[in-house]
Amino acid sequence: MAPRVDLAERRDRITALGVVAPPPIHITTPTFDGSLATLFSCVRDHKVDLLGVPLFPICEAYFSYMLNTEMRDLDEAAAALVALSYLLERKAWLLLPVPDPEPDFDEPMDAIEPSIQEFSYAIDSLRLWYEERSMLFFRSPEAGPDPYELPYTLANVSVGDLARAFERLLKRASPEPMEPLSKPKRSLQDQMQAVLLAVGTEWKTLTQLVTEPFTRTEAVYWFLALLELVRLGKVSARVVGDDVEFGREDLADQTTPHGEFDPGH
Amino acid sequence: MEEAVTPNQHLEAVDLVFALLFVADTPSSAETLASALGFTVGQVEQAVDVLTKRLRKAGPLQLVKLAGGYQLSTRAEYAELIANFLKPQRQRLSRSLMEVLAIVAYRQPITMAEVEEVRGVQSDYAVKALMERRLLQEVGRKTVPGRPVLYGTSAQFLHQFKLNDLKELPPLETEMPALPSPE
Repeated sequence: MAPRVDLAERRDRITALGVVAPPPIHITTPTFDGSLATLFSCVRDHKVDLLGVPLFPICEAYFSYMLNTEMRDLDEAAAALVALSYLLERKAWLLLPVPDPEPDFDEPMDAIEPSIQEFSYAIDSLRLWYEERSMLFFRSPEAGPDPYELPYTLANVSVGDLARAFERLLKRASPEPMEPLSKPKRSLQDQMQAVLLAVGTEWKTLTQLVTEPFTRTEAVYWFLALLELVRLGKVSARVVGDDVEFGREDLADQTTPHGEFDPGH
Repeated sequence: MEEAVTPNQHLEAVDLVFALLFVADTPSSAETLASALGFTVGQVEQAVDVLTKRLRKAGPLQLVKLAGGYQLSTRAEYAELIANFLKPQRQRLSRSLMEVLAIVAYRQPITMAEVEEVRGVQSDYAVKALMERRLLQEVGRKTVPGRPVLYGTSAQFLHQFKLNDLKELPPLETEMPALPSPE
């Protein structure tokens, strides 16, 4: 605890704002001559335009004070630093570019404040034009499906067949192991390569393709990779009984089972 | 196989312009067409005039001037037929999106805060939605504290509203609608 005498002395140096007054650092600049505390008060009360006061001599005076006083009073040093920081921040804000002044109107009182009502006619016009434009069709990707995407037929392999095959696979999946929050990202491209290797020269069901144990996430990756390969025409599918079998695309050419899915043709 | 035809050979300039516009999936400016064909801009504009009149006489196509260029489109009479065939996903523009779009179109470049000042409500969702639809784009940053993003309309906006440039926007209302007089 500080000695009683120190506290009494310090009370004298506490300003009306409840903080210790900055030390008597004298500043001499072309536009201001006085103490740091006076400059601080004048700037705060808008009595001095800080833009006209160079900060370099002030910083120099502060560093000189820091080097010469051997840091006997930390509170005073801190107060000086606070005052200097305040001046630096104020000057930084003042130096930011300001927008160009608004042009003077001939009759400023007649200028209408911007409001959304001002745009109502424009909004109605835009809506009308949007409707008119929607009646026109251009050669553009937004006008419809990509014209260069080869269509493929699902034959009698329905979306429901695929969904049921996927459901059967998910039922066999193991619970996800507890892992750290940052899971490594999996690439569907890598998974497609793995699936392409697994889809051999004979027809296999999804259950036969994916060997246990596997998690639900892995099952989803397998299924998505298979769908993408089917879309790209690298894997074919056919319905056998109530299940869907997958095989390499060339298998579809060799055999002609009913219900074969033949992409790209 | 037929030989490739160059502009200097027997084909008419109109047909050459037609061929390029047929395959283009974005509006082509007269300058772009002129550069591709080795013509002057004036020659291209002449060819475009002739082509516009020729298409007006017959056929399902028309030549539209929009987004600073020319592009072929189908006529409005065929809209229903084509919509049934292509089944395009219509993107509805809600009232709030239209408001933001109109404010940005007329006041661009404009910050989000300025848009909100005109509307009097928060508009970040609407701006984001319009950015996702590529109707708005970032055009810079305002030189004020915080350097907020400035937004402007895109070429896609001109295309979607069949505008050639922003000068075609209707003038803003300069007078507030009169309030009904008390009975």
